Amino acid sequence: MSGLMEYNGSAIVAMTGENCVGIAADTRHGIRQLQTVSCNRQKTFQVTDQCFVGLAGLATDVQTLSQLLNFRMKLFTLREERKMQPRMIGNMISSMLYEKRFGPWFTEPVVAGLDDNHKPFVCAFDFIGCLSTAEDFVVSGTTSEQLFGVCESFWRPGMNKDELFETLSQCLLSGVDRDCLAGWGGVVHVITPDEIITKKLKGRMD
Amino acid sequence: MAPVANPKSFCLDIKKSGEAPKLMDFMKGTTTLGFVFQGGIIIAVDSRASMGSYIGSQTVKKVIEINDFLLGTIAGGAADCSFWERHLNRLCRMHELREKERISVAAASKLLANIFWQYRGQGLSCGTMVAGWDKKGPSLYMVDDQGDRHKGNVFSVGSGSTFAYGVLDTGYRFDLTVDEAVELGRRSIYHATHRDGASGGVARVYHVHEKGWTKVIAGEDVNKLHYMYAAEKNLKGDE
Repeated sequence: MSGLMEYNGSAIVAMTGENCVGIAADTRHGIRQLQTVSCNRQKTFQVTDQCFVGLAGLATDVQTLSQLLNFRMKLFTLREERKMQPRMIGNMISSMLYEKRFGPWFTEPVVAGLDDNHKPFVCAFDFIGCLSTAEDFVVSGTTSEQLFGVCESFWRPGMNKDELFETLSQCLLSGVDRDCLAGWGGVVHVITPDEIITKKLKGRMD
Repeated sequence: MAPVANPKSFCLDIKKSGEAPKLMDFMKGTTTLGFVFQGGIIIAVDSRASMGSYIGSQTVKKVIEINDFLLGTIAGGAADCSFWERHLNRLCRMHELREKERISVAAASKLLANIFWQYRGQGLSCGTMVAGWDKKGPSLYMVDDQGDRHKGNVFSVGSGSTFAYGVLDTGYRFDLTVDEAVELGRRSIYHATHRDGASGGVARVYHVHEKGWTKVIAGEDVNKLHYMYAAEKNLKGDE
């Protein structure tokens, strides 16, 4: 079972800053653990204009779950005529995952967003939907242990959007350089009240 | 022998019992290759040590300089390979002293293969290539932990070998010049490190010739090679 979580390989990290939040992911698409198929698989998906969801784990479940999320978001917006808050998105994902408790989605999502008061929110889940919020950062994927180490060292409170971008990028690149299954490039999104900055990272291609 | 009840099956027992879950996980992730051409032999290796999905090191030396005219490569258990290849050095030196002439590559590789045959089933993990130039010219032998020994012109060993073979077989000709051959070795290692998750780090290339061996490329970062080869094709390198 755990072999399926390592089948494709991924590294996701989300961090909070001062009135901003960032999420970064690698872009490797691997199969049967060691073979690399491509270097530009999307693992972070924008769900509202102030919130991103990162999906680590089995690629097929990542794709399906991202489409399901999209559908649920749009339906909510149509019915309730308001925007979903990040905390609510987290709870919705938690329920979606637990619905499949005995035949689960093999993915460990991460939510990163700003609520209506511009307060940052990050949380992570295990593959059956246990929500765990953090004040500082969350990580997910095959590289999670390496990322824990490097984020613990480099995260500090009160970072502005440029410092947050720099910290996120360096943590992701250092983490995936110690993982065979993730890397081959990366993408970073920093969400501020005014804009969303997206940048591609140039990483080691081995 | 190990002070346990059954030394001969010690390695396999430990693995089966699950007492030390990651102890016997040797680094099998690697790409090593060697080929014979008109100018001698090219040996090219990567430098990554992976334990499962964790990268242990990016700066491993996978070519063992057995002596001034014999090279051996490591794939599998680093301790197994390096110990037995250094042991082979001792045996080769003894041969020289007794016979008053250098040992042939065939004999050297046979000595190694016989050692592995003796320890067959006890859990040694080794996929090595022995290369050298003797009276009969350049010879390349692949020797593995089952006691298999094959002479050949083109070999690649490790998890990235399939990717390396693709590039190697496409570009291989017996009448390559030395520079072309070195480039082929380097390129094959680069392609294997790009596609195989368990290979990476730097590419090292050695050239075995009549006067011994030369370390042609001590260590070239494969990441740098990626962007260099991409630029040659006018690509950005993030496809």
